[in-house]
Amino acid sequence: MEHLLAPLVGDASPVTVIGLCKNAGKTTAMRRLMAELGEERLALTSVGRDGESTDLVTGTEKPDLYVKAGDLFATARGMLSLCDPTLEVVGLTDVMTPLGPVAILRALSDGYIQLAGPSAAGQLPPLTKTFLELGAQRVLIDGAAGRKSLAGAGVEGVALLCTGASLDRDMELVVAETAHTCWLFSRKPPENPALRQALEGLEARFALFTPEGEPLELPLDESGGPRWNKLPRQHLVVWAAGGIMDPLLKTLARRGAPTTLVAADATHVLAGRAALDLFLRNGGELLVRRELTIAAVAANPWSAYGWHFEGDKFVQALRQAIDLPVVNVKEA
Amino acid sequence: MKLTLELRENAGLQWVLERLSPMSPFGRTAARDLRWYGPGEEAALEEELDNVALSMELWNAGASRPQELPCGCGGAELDPAELKDAASALRGVTKQLPLFHDIRGSFDRDPGVPFDLVELFEIKHFLVTLERLVQAYDAMPALSGVTFPSLAEALDLMDPDGRRLPTFTVANSYHNDLAPLRAEKAKLEKAIRMTPDDKRGPLLEKRRVLAVQEDQLELVVRQDLTGKLMVWKDRFLSSMETLGRLDLIVAKAKLALRFGCVRPTLSTDKSITLRQVRHPQVEEDLRNRGESFTPLDLDLGKGCTVITGANMGGKTVSLRSTVLSLLLCQCGFFVFAQSAALPLFHRVELILADSGPGAGGLSSFGKEVHLLDKLLRETKDQFFFVALDEFARGTNPQEGAALARALVRHLGSLDCVALMTTHYDGVSDVAGAHYQVAGLVRDIQGDEGDDPRKRIARRMDYRLLPAPPGAPCPRDALRVCRLLKLDDTLMELFQADL
Repeated sequence: MEHLLAPLVGDASPVTVIGLCKNAGKTTAMRRLMAELGEERLALTSVGRDGESTDLVTGTEKPDLYVKAGDLFATARGMLSLCDPTLEVVGLTDVMTPLGPVAILRALSDGYIQLAGPSAAGQLPPLTKTFLELGAQRVLIDGAAGRKSLAGAGVEGVALLCTGASLDRDMELVVAETAHTCWLFSRKPPENPALRQALEGLEARFALFTPEGEPLELPLDESGGPRWNKLPRQHLVVWAAGGIMDPLLKTLARRGAPTTLVAADATHVLAGRAALDLFLRNGGELLVRRELTIAAVAANPWSAYGWHFEGDKFVQALRQAIDLPVVNVKEA
Repeated sequence: MKLTLELRENAGLQWVLERLSPMSPFGRTAARDLRWYGPGEEAALEEELDNVALSMELWNAGASRPQELPCGCGGAELDPAELKDAASALRGVTKQLPLFHDIRGSFDRDPGVPFDLVELFEIKHFLVTLERLVQAYDAMPALSGVTFPSLAEALDLMDPDGRRLPTFTVANSYHNDLAPLRAEKAKLEKAIRMTPDDKRGPLLEKRRVLAVQEDQLELVVRQDLTGKLMVWKDRFLSSMETLGRLDLIVAKAKLALRFGCVRPTLSTDKSITLRQVRHPQVEEDLRNRGESFTPLDLDLGKGCTVITGANMGGKTVSLRSTVLSLLLCQCGFFVFAQSAALPLFHRVELILADSGPGAGGLSSFGKEVHLLDKLLRETKDQFFFVALDEFARGTNPQEGAALARALVRHLGSLDCVALMTTHYDGVSDVAGAHYQVAGLVRDIQGDEGDDPRKRIARRMDYRLLPAPPGAPCPRDALRVCRLLKLDDTLMELFQADL
């Protein structure tokens, strides 16, 4: 088999396969990657997924993954009846899902499995650590799909971003959205070490700093929300822990002084392109506390809704807009 | 006796239990559902206290900086070398305790419903962990009444190759047909790997058929294992109960070491003797404010003892300390005191005047009377203890004092030990004994700017001193109000009216 994705992810582990929307070709990319990494002992799990075998939104079937003997995987106990390799239970985590606790299993033969791993991002790092202790050479995570589902759903290691015609009928819009997501993922942490340190472990919803990392008091209203119109008219750093939406960007854009906005990571920026553009054009700067890396973009010209793009044209358009490797997983 | 949440919270038992740290799910159940040792169960309680004492000695000996244990602890007579070995054996036991998962739910089933793979894994994990724990336990002096039924056969069943690995799979050895079927399937899977994607269809279909057959064989095996394991259900459950008991004993020992608690002795003459008794919750609260707790001495005989004294003189704390000591002792704990000799009661009750919300439509007076009536009805032919905080203070003083006196007299005729605080004169006249808070005895000037609570604490001698029956209640309300900086105009009116 021609190695298409494996060279792009290199030695990175974990690799999180994420989708820009449902049916963006996440599973296809995941299968392809598993096949290309066939010599390695893999460990698989998913995050932010509910585990139903049919997609409730589109009615399309969620395909199984075919693992090889020796691979490890973590899935909810309730999914085991859908897994057909000879299985060895090697552990039981305290991660609970609607389908029971997440168990860690070793496939003693080849076979089909269904993944329903942790739903919260914080539960992934201990799990990947356990995988490595059990001898896994690389961890693959079936990540979330859709910008909103991605927020805080845990992107570990490097990401493989899947995009495709399912996002919209309009190819230009799909390309622009994909480029926007790649741009977000290329945001960097602050360069000032004092500021970086000040942000480390910060749990407040919002916090205010000078560009040199000096904490400033954030004016609050009666309900405890920030009073953005009371901010001093100087270059400020605003930390926002949760999802960043349009209103916050628009408010900060109009406050009359440059603002550096720091998000937890790229997945937390949920605002639309227009609001972000307005913020940046008014002297705004967007940084992240945790840098995420996209190793490559996997394009799927076929949608689940009946329309599709011309494969070559779609890939070419993406390549022009994005400074990252773009591959057509379906065609390859 | 049922330890209600209200009683646990009012007495401070809840605070103590929150600092108890059992390590296994079974220990947590045992701590939630504490055994009450009542009259006639003295031997069982002594056995439990022996166990706690032994665990304390062993745990302490294994600590990096062992404490000097107060007398009354340390049941085992071991030479230093044996003690060291036993201490590390106990550490070996407690290392296993947090590894247990609660699998009681798995055994609550019809034996015909097979365990799933994860349940079988959990059972094997339980058996392997239990074996390690029992190995460590066998190397220390046994705790009385803590013995584990043998589950060796079950472990052999779940671990046919004897490797004690912490994993479970339906091994080939469980069914004669499994090995050939799995070999055939493996051969096919190898062929699938060699075949290009688009030509795998028929092979995958063949594999699917074999996978279904394998699943059916595994089901047969699981059914068989379930049937066999369920035969030992009682042993499994009793092992888990014993684990809970062991875990709780160690937790009690660690708590006693942490707070310097003492083993209570059981008195045979129905009297309570407490020396330097403390209330740990109040003590911690005081320590956080930079103050210290004054330990109390109390001797309570049959009948009702009355405590009088200044407001904010710690009367209620003395009730709570006494009730906490009794509850802890009768649940097999060491107590927060320098020494304690306590009898066993059928029932221990604490009736506080401030009822707060949830009194079920009763006023504070109504609630007190209701609780008292309920207690008296339920303890006919029982030996009980009751502590009453300013009983009948919520009604008019003349009637209230008469009711309090009547109650003290009545309690004196019952098979009980009672302790009552009051501000009413004439109540101590009819009591079996009378204590008075030493009170606001210290004359201090020049701290007007300080926190009123601190100013009162500085002037207050919290010790309980025996007082003659009928000694009048102190008149300290005015001074306390002044120290609390009550409004000047109001103070003037108050003083003029006295």
